[in-house]
Amino acid sequence: MRKKMFAVIQREYITRAKSKGFIIVTLIFPLILVLLFSGYFIFSKIFQPSTKTFTIIDQTGMVFEEFARIQSDKLPGGEPKYSFIKKDVAPGGMEKALADLQAEVNRKELSGYLVIPEDIIEKREAKYSARNVSDFEELESFSRSLSWIVTNVRLEQKGWPAKKIRSEMEKGRVKLVSQQITEKGEIEKSGLSSFMMTYILTYVMFLMIIIYGGILMRSVIEEKTQRITESIVSSISPLGLMFGKMLGICALGLTQLLVFGGFLLGTITFAEPLLKKFGVQSAGLFEIIKQVHFTAPVFGFLILFFLLGFVFYSGLYAALGAMVNTEDEGQQLQMPLVVLFFLSYFIMFSVARNPDTARAFWVSLIPFFTPIVMFARISVSDPILPSGTFLSLVIMALSTILLIWVAAKIYRVGILMYGKKPSFKEALKWIRYK
Amino acid sequence: MKVLEVENINKSFGHFKAVDNISFSIEEGVIFGLLGPNGAGKTTTIRMIMNIIIPDSGRISLMGNSKTRSTTDFIGYLPEERGMYRKMKVENLLFFQTKLKSMPKKDARKAIDLWVERMELSDWKKKKSEELSKGMQQKIQFISTVLHRPKLLILDEPFGGLDPINQNLIKDILLELKSQGTTIIFSTHILESAEKLCEEIFLINRGKQVLNGRLSDIKKSFGRKNVRIEYEGSDAFLKSDQIKRYDNYGNTVEITMAPGGDIQKVLKDAVDGAVIHKFEIMDPSLNDIFIDSVRSSEDEGAVS
Repeated sequence: MRKKMFAVIQREYITRAKSKGFIIVTLIFPLILVLLFSGYFIFSKIFQPSTKTFTIIDQTGMVFEEFARIQSDKLPGGEPKYSFIKKDVAPGGMEKALADLQAEVNRKELSGYLVIPEDIIEKREAKYSARNVSDFEELESFSRSLSWIVTNVRLEQKGWPAKKIRSEMEKGRVKLVSQQITEKGEIEKSGLSSFMMTYILTYVMFLMIIIYGGILMRSVIEEKTQRITESIVSSISPLGLMFGKMLGICALGLTQLLVFGGFLLGTITFAEPLLKKFGVQSAGLFEIIKQVHFTAPVFGFLILFFLLGFVFYSGLYAALGAMVNTEDEGQQLQMPLVVLFFLSYFIMFSVARNPDTARAFWVSLIPFFTPIVMFARISVSDPILPSGTFLSLVIMALSTILLIWVAAKIYRVGILMYGKKPSFKEALKWIRYK
Repeated sequence: MKVLEVENINKSFGHFKAVDNISFSIEEGVIFGLLGPNGAGKTTTIRMIMNIIIPDSGRISLMGNSKTRSTTDFIGYLPEERGMYRKMKVENLLFFQTKLKSMPKKDARKAIDLWVERMELSDWKKKKSEELSKGMQQKIQFISTVLHRPKLLILDEPFGGLDPINQNLIKDILLELKSQGTTIIFSTHILESAEKLCEEIFLINRGKQVLNGRLSDIKKSFGRKNVRIEYEGSDAFLKSDQIKRYDNYGNTVEITMAPGGDIQKVLKDAVDGAVIHKFEIMDPSLNDIFIDSVRSSEDEGAVS
């Protein structure tokens, strides 16, 4: 009996796993991920900003060194962001010097120049000239550095120790740490990335269950329309056939999910050390990878809830497939099912933001919603398990068993019924058949 | 040994009584006809034998055992409604069937090659089943029924959709299997084809047994005879109480005798008024027996 069921599982799995469509879809996600990352890497290489050169005419004679010291940021590649040239101008030679500098800027030998007047301490004004003055970040940064220097000088002029005051100000700085409050305690969160990842993961799960449920339904309908069922159930019980089909197609979805999730997890874990080993340095890329919130426990729960969700919904799909005679009828009948399931995706949006409210707790216990909603709560709360995790698993498992029992009764009768599509009332009557 | 014993089985779907208290048994190596018009309950009976549906009451035993799922491995069943997975290769399709019948892998491969060759389908082994013609598909389905050397073969309308050459091929194989000891249940509504093959028959109509027994015994006990006379002259001899019914074509008349009617007397009467060219006593056909039995059983039903 178990061997026969295995034969059905094998048939369902192998005939589909060998198809071009399945192979392409399975490999396309890892491929996209690789392309995305390597694309980012290549683009950041191509458009990498190079060192900008600024000439500084420092008429005070005391700002240049300090300014160059403060503006010592490095580019992602490791080169300095700016290189500064000090230019001394003899009294009266200012006009000519500026003309020369403008010519240099026009010849693109220079990004721009700064003029720091003698009276900067009193007037607090300097001149920034560049080919392009729309880089607010740069303007802001230069202005901040000059302010720092000028403030220090002004403090010292008043006889106040600038260094001490600065250090005191530094010590007085207050950092606001964001914390998420859960019943089990407080935990630091990275914020947005875990939400984004939860949306993506739940959507993938939603799609996988809908798609593979649909495959199961069509497979049941094929056996009906092609009149294959009777010869098969003369060798294996209808229940064995149904389970065989479910498990075969479930294994197919699982294969895909393992490839997707495994690849993602592998990328997050091994991309940085691996790329570094090959001498690739890209701080930006590594930062992006670190932002992706996907851990092994979340992956585990993704698989667990996919399996539960698939078996639960596939029971409904199998029963639907057995009730109808054509794929069109099946498509129509599955619409309420898809809408119901899609509802859990909407619920998930609000629950993911507030995963520990009583409402979130109760709604995640409803079997139709559990796979998406409970998983979302787990994913955003990671690494802490939200309340009701195990309770939801138990309720889901029990209701799955009940649903499969009903589905099997309908399936058993339906697969040999040809002709008119039965009403739900009639289908429920089938449950009582011996 | 009794290969199959069916005792008082009943099956209803809602208010519709599909099978009504049916019993029969089949000895080893017999070709058994399960006959009746469409919707008589043949397929429901077979499905109960195959464990696809469960009788409301009654008992079915195979090879002396009360039937379980594993005993169906000894049966090969060709349903009337039969099809195949369109996207599967013929070879894989047949191999899948052997797995469902718990056949060892090695034997299965050998048997597939053997049968595919015998049915002249070797070139199609690697093709997808949707590429096959209807007739070829029928042959593949037949192969999948006999691959695992079943002790009991149940064939529901096996000749449907086959050309005369292939019908003959299948018929020869059936006779060969029978000679090797295979028991065959042959279910059909086309009585002419059953008449040639079956030794024992079970006639079913509206879920109820109409007739059951050896075909030769049934014909013998079926008191009525048919007579065909080719004549020239007076047809006055037809007005006789020995005759129940006749169809007169002018110089040929087909006569159905009344119960206990004396054929010799009819002949004497005929010779008196006409020249007889041909006088033939015919065995009743299964069709006649069926129609007559159904009529009388329905009459009984109407009375009671």
